[in-house]
Amino acid sequence: MKYVELHARSAFSFLRGASVPEEYAEAAAKLELPAMALTDCDGVYGSPRFFLAMKKAGLRGHTGADVLCTDGGRYPVLVKSRTGYQNLCRLITQTKLRTEKHPKKPESQAAAMPEEWAEFAEGLLCLTGGADGPLAVALRRGEGRACLERLIAIFGRGNVYVELQRHYERDQEARNQEAVRLARSLQLPLVATNGVCHAYPEQRKILDVFSCLHHKTTLAEAGRLLSRNAERHLKPGVVMARLFADYPEAIGNTVEVSAQLTFELTDLGYEFPRYPLPAGQSEMEFLRARTLEGARLRYPAGYERARPQLEHELRIIEKLQLAGYFLVVWDIVNFCRAEGILAQGRGSAANSAVCYSLGITAVDSVAMGLLFERFLSEERGEWPDIDIDLPSGPKREKVIQYVYRRYGERGAAMTANVITYRDRSAAREVGKVLGFDEATLERLSRLAPMWGWNDPTNTVEARFREAGLDLENARIKHFYELTKGIRNLPRHLGQHSGGMVVCQGKLDSVVPLEPASMPGRVVVQWDKEDCADLKLIKVDLLGLGMMSVLEDTLELVREHEKKDIDLGQLPADDPAVYQMLQRADSIGLFQVESRAQQATLPRLKPTKFYDLVVQVAIIRPGPIVGKMVHPYLARRKGTEPIEPLHPLLAPILERTLGVPLFQEQLLRMAMTAANFTGGQAEDLRRAMGFKRSQERMQEIEQRLRSGMAQNGITGKMQDTIVQSITSFALYGFPESHAASFALLAYASAWLKHHHLAAFTCALLNNQPMGFYHPAVLVKDAQRHGLRVLPVDIARSSYKCSLEDLQLRLGLNYVRGLNAQTAAHIVAEREREPFFDIDDLARRIPELCKDEWTVLAEIGALNTLQAKHRRDALWQAARAGRPVGPLLEGVSETAPDSPLPPMTPEQRLEADYRGTSLTVGRHPMAHYRAHMQTLGITPATGLTKLSSGRWVRIAGCVIVRQRPGTAKGIVFISLEDETGISNAVVMPDVFLANRLTILNCAWLIIAGPIQNVDGVIHVRAEQIEPLKVDSIAAASHDFH
Amino acid sequence: MYACLYAEGNLALLVECARYFSPRYEEYSADAVLVDLRGAGLLFGSWAEIADAMQRRIGVAANIALAGDPDSAFFLARSRKGITLIHPGEEAEALASVPLRLLPCSSETAAVLHAWGFSTFGELAALPAAGIAARLGAEGTALLRLVRGENNRQLRTVETPRSFRDDIELESPVALLEPLLFLLGRLLNELCAALMRSALSTDEVRLALTLENAPTHSCVLRLPIPLCDPMVLLKLLQLELGERPPAAAILKISLELEPAPPRKTQHNLFVAAGPEPQVLEVTLAKLRHLLGADCVGAPHLLNTHRPDAFSMQHFPGNAAAPQNPFPAQPALALRRYRPPKLAQVTKHQERPAQVRSGALRAKVIAAAGPWRTSGDWWNTLAWNRDEWDVALANGVLYRLYEEVGSQRWFVEGVYD
Repeated sequence: MKYVELHARSAFSFLRGASVPEEYAEAAAKLELPAMALTDCDGVYGSPRFFLAMKKAGLRGHTGADVLCTDGGRYPVLVKSRTGYQNLCRLITQTKLRTEKHPKKPESQAAAMPEEWAEFAEGLLCLTGGADGPLAVALRRGEGRACLERLIAIFGRGNVYVELQRHYERDQEARNQEAVRLARSLQLPLVATNGVCHAYPEQRKILDVFSCLHHKTTLAEAGRLLSRNAERHLKPGVVMARLFADYPEAIGNTVEVSAQLTFELTDLGYEFPRYPLPAGQSEMEFLRARTLEGARLRYPAGYERARPQLEHELRIIEKLQLAGYFLVVWDIVNFCRAEGILAQGRGSAANSAVCYSLGITAVDSVAMGLLFERFLSEERGEWPDIDIDLPSGPKREKVIQYVYRRYGERGAAMTANVITYRDRSAAREVGKVLGFDEATLERLSRLAPMWGWNDPTNTVEARFREAGLDLENARIKHFYELTKGIRNLPRHLGQHSGGMVVCQGKLDSVVPLEPASMPGRVVVQWDKEDCADLKLIKVDLLGLGMMSVLEDTLELVREHEKKDIDLGQLPADDPAVYQMLQRADSIGLFQVESRAQQATLPRLKPTKFYDLVVQVAIIRPGPIVGKMVHPYLARRKGTEPIEPLHPLLAPILERTLGVPLFQEQLLRMAMTAANFTGGQAEDLRRAMGFKRSQERMQEIEQRLRSGMAQNGITGKMQDTIVQSITSFALYGFPESHAASFALLAYASAWLKHHHLAAFTCALLNNQPMGFYHPAVLVKDAQRHGLRVLPVDIARSSYKCSLEDLQLRLGLNYVRGLNAQTAAHIVAEREREPFFDIDDLARRIPELCKDEWTVLAEIGALNTLQAKHRRDALWQAARAGRPVGPLLEGVSETAPDSPLPPMTPEQRLEADYRGTSLTVGRHPMAHYRAHMQTLGITPATGLTKLSSGRWVRIAGCVIVRQRPGTAKGIVFISLEDETGISNAVVMPDVFLANRLTILNCAWLIIAGPIQNVDGVIHVRAEQIEPLKVDSIAAASHDFH
Repeated sequence: MYACLYAEGNLALLVECARYFSPRYEEYSADAVLVDLRGAGLLFGSWAEIADAMQRRIGVAANIALAGDPDSAFFLARSRKGITLIHPGEEAEALASVPLRLLPCSSETAAVLHAWGFSTFGELAALPAAGIAARLGAEGTALLRLVRGENNRQLRTVETPRSFRDDIELESPVALLEPLLFLLGRLLNELCAALMRSALSTDEVRLALTLENAPTHSCVLRLPIPLCDPMVLLKLLQLELGERPPAAAILKISLELEPAPPRKTQHNLFVAAGPEPQVLEVTLAKLRHLLGADCVGAPHLLNTHRPDAFSMQHFPGNAAAPQNPFPAQPALALRRYRPPKLAQVTKHQERPAQVRSGALRAKVIAAAGPWRTSGDWWNTLAWNRDEWDVALANGVLYRLYEEVGSQRWFVEGVYD
């Protein structure tokens, strides 16, 4: 018996369904259902994934939704036509946008008003629903007939089906009988559904857990909120026919309804916005003119050389009718330029000379010989992807708001980011639902993997045993299975960091929009993969801290050094900058400041821009796991012959010394060695970057192997090539992307070398970002000769600033100082300088006691007639305590503070407590004499020692790292007053010293020194805590 | 003159010693007792002799300090080992070296003093009083008095809480209920009279009977409302002892009444008066005695799909009427068999056709079902069953169910 399931909720109903759309498609195929509809609550969140999975399984996936109405019922509506789909999207958008998301009331639900249905009913087919459907709600009020008459009036007689569900429940059957009676009397057709909430029976447990999470209760207390039995799973036609043997027409009608649902998600009617053009000009003509105009500026000398490539690209753009898209992106970049906002395209767009000419990207793809087809190809016929890096913070927001303004509130929206249950959140939520106490919950959630790398012996069972939990225990077993079950299921909808979808006309007719938790933002219900799958064009406006730093640096240089620097015109290949990089003197630089990058720079020894492109791309999990780093460095050094993996691949790998480093090379390798077509290569690329791609990667590997076998590449050679290609599944940079990043890396290095004060100031003003804590950045700048001045209430601005090319810490570094108060201080001071502490208290009355204390302790009040920090504290303690109007003007008679001045150690402690850093001597400098008695070598002393010599190093831990690619090795960086020393801790040493390493901010590490090509490490064999007074130094830990 | 006795974890010894030397003493902390020694010199000798006598009386290592004000004595006892004797007027000098962490101040003030770089009383004591008042307010002034040894205050003397407890040691063991009740009646009369004198009632009666060659027999009566009627309490004890008699003859009776404020009620003019609470309580106790504690009270439906899930709550329980959890339930009453009756059911086309259970043997004329429920899968109460409503040939409507795992059938009840 043919049966189509027409009422099903997936996990995209957020805590009301327990299966992902792909599971439904898989189950539907197994149960031989020809089609199925997904009706998630108040949205079409899961529809793209459902539609594509069903299509892949050769089945029809219908679109619909369970829309909540203010009368309390959930209306299951199915989409018949594009008009219906557009109506559904607009209705959901309308309800969602008028329901403001309240951070404290996430449960506030959007609901459609009964009168809205009439406006949006065309093209929709309405079922009467299950226990929460409109008919059940009306029957409880004794208004069943009126309800059906109303539905007929709204949707039309042919579009209302009386729904019957049978889950073996008494009250449900009573309702069914009443529904049948009404249907007969109104001559409405019946339709059977199973009100599905999960694909398989065993997933009922997950549904119960979700019900608890939804109602914020535990399984023990949920009671009748839980499902009565496990019958809400997908059932085959035979079973449904048996269930409804007394109403066979209800089963037959499912097929009839399915036949009416002709709409497919590929028919969205999406149209990219048209750029407003001068009269009589086509988009293509306009784009061509702008491109050639730009090219003349970008290629002042080599215009003719670039011309053929430009013409080639323009031809493809014209053929694919993408001129509008380029113009829209160009428009955004133009806006940025007009507003003085730095903007730079990244990703594959940098492969395009058109993008370069239009000023969208900064990489000269012609000069670098980058592959345009990686960005856009006729064969793939897919929309290009242009990502634009912008300064993070308010400037990026300004650009986003410009796009909203430009395309209208309902014409543009951010793409969603589906937040799923991860190990830790799954463990915590399941533990809560099972009623574990707080201590057990803490232990259980700690079981979730924390470090990047896991020991092979670190099995789930072992981890449970370690935590004192027995997997044989029924509750623990439930916990384990449920945690596994809900992992990766959607939890809620977030907002993607920068992806924007724009539309010609109404975007809310294409996909429902809803408010994001951030005011002024609207998100679509799909994530960026869904948008790409359904060919919605998105522009990624990404916030990049370094862009803000560069922009702020240029501004500071302009203001204080009276120089105008154009980032596009920086001196290329400045030897001094490359020497700095070769020394791994890269703290604060973009992309090349990490421990791993610093350990490679002296070996790679970059001397030109392309070396920097390689440097940026090489320290990635892809090349590291693919074992490409060492061969490349050895070949560069000349200790290994330059041979390609296979003679066929020689031209592809020529530039990277026979070692594949970039995504483009991997694609070309697949095309050359395994006869992949461009489209298949693109499949490969998407599988690489696609988070739902494990199975796809396996399929592709099979295809790779058979293709290579055809070309006679077999055995070990085949394995090596496959490994090279598939290891990029972890992460690999496209060459153009690496080039864009390398430009920023070079610019940051150049600015640090030539304008250290401005660069450091900008870095400090854009924290948190990068790899190092501000305390490390300050000490590094000081070692480079920059004078850093402490916070001074009489001079500091809110942000860090420059005074005669000396860096003055800003009030933003004062821990706990309210930003508005700080702004008031600066404004008042500009009006008239503060005379003394009492004057400050009178004019800034909102300064609270804690703020007074911290300002006095860090010495920021010293210039207000305080002899020393404690004197300031004494005065501040009085000033911060209002005495009332009577005594306000009375000053203290006792002239001097009775408090003793702080010792240098106390000042240091106060600096760290109040600003998390010190501009004075490094803490280690205070202990140097003692360090010498302990036989500690300072960081700069290590360069003079030969490899193998036993040394002891000590300092403040600034980095602890255990990367997933390093097989359990831990990297630690220690800072002292002379610089930074690095240590490598093997897994056994780490295990023996785990607590010391993780908990101590100051360490002494001893072991033999290793100096390879100028990269110096101490191989840690002994680790002990260093006893330093209570200075709470902060490290950046990347576990 | 005041003394401070300080010894960690020996408060009882310190209190005993303090009582010996003076009726006025203060339990300052879990480790310290302050004693007002004014006038004690006439009885016990010089201050030094008193200190020595105190040390001997405590019997364990303790710090004893005598000073002109109680707080100074405490700080000195806390910071100096052995005996310290400071004559009035010399406190400030003696206190100068006491560490500041001993000063009882708010964490906020402690942070300020730490920030000022102070570590001893002397450093704080040296500050000008006006300056401190301007910065630390009233708390600062009070602290300054403490660190300067100028905080002359009265002791907060200890008031022993009142106990309503009495014991009777019996010369010969009592083995019968009647003489026991006679003795209990006497105790209750006295204790209730004492309660009434204090304008109190009791909401808990604790009885402990020391038995001959058997462990102590205890029982606790928790009363829903405070009572002070010895007759009612005696009746309740009688029912309790009748239900759970002691295992052996009684050597000693200990009875304690937990004091509670008496019940205050105002009757509602428009609500019919219920039985007197004490009378009702006695009646319920009689019923519990007859039927067992689990069978008396008000049934309360549990919030679960589990069939026949209810608990018994103390009667009269909450006054609010429980909400009907099954609003859509057909209005047909089911009389349940508790426990359900095991049955043998023959099926035809997956539906019950014949039922046999004890004397019941009948053909199924009509059957509705299955009605499937399962739940509590996370604990040992897990159930999974299919219910059927069947009309048998005998003209009666029954509810049957099949346990899905064991495939056992039961007759759960009969419909009215």
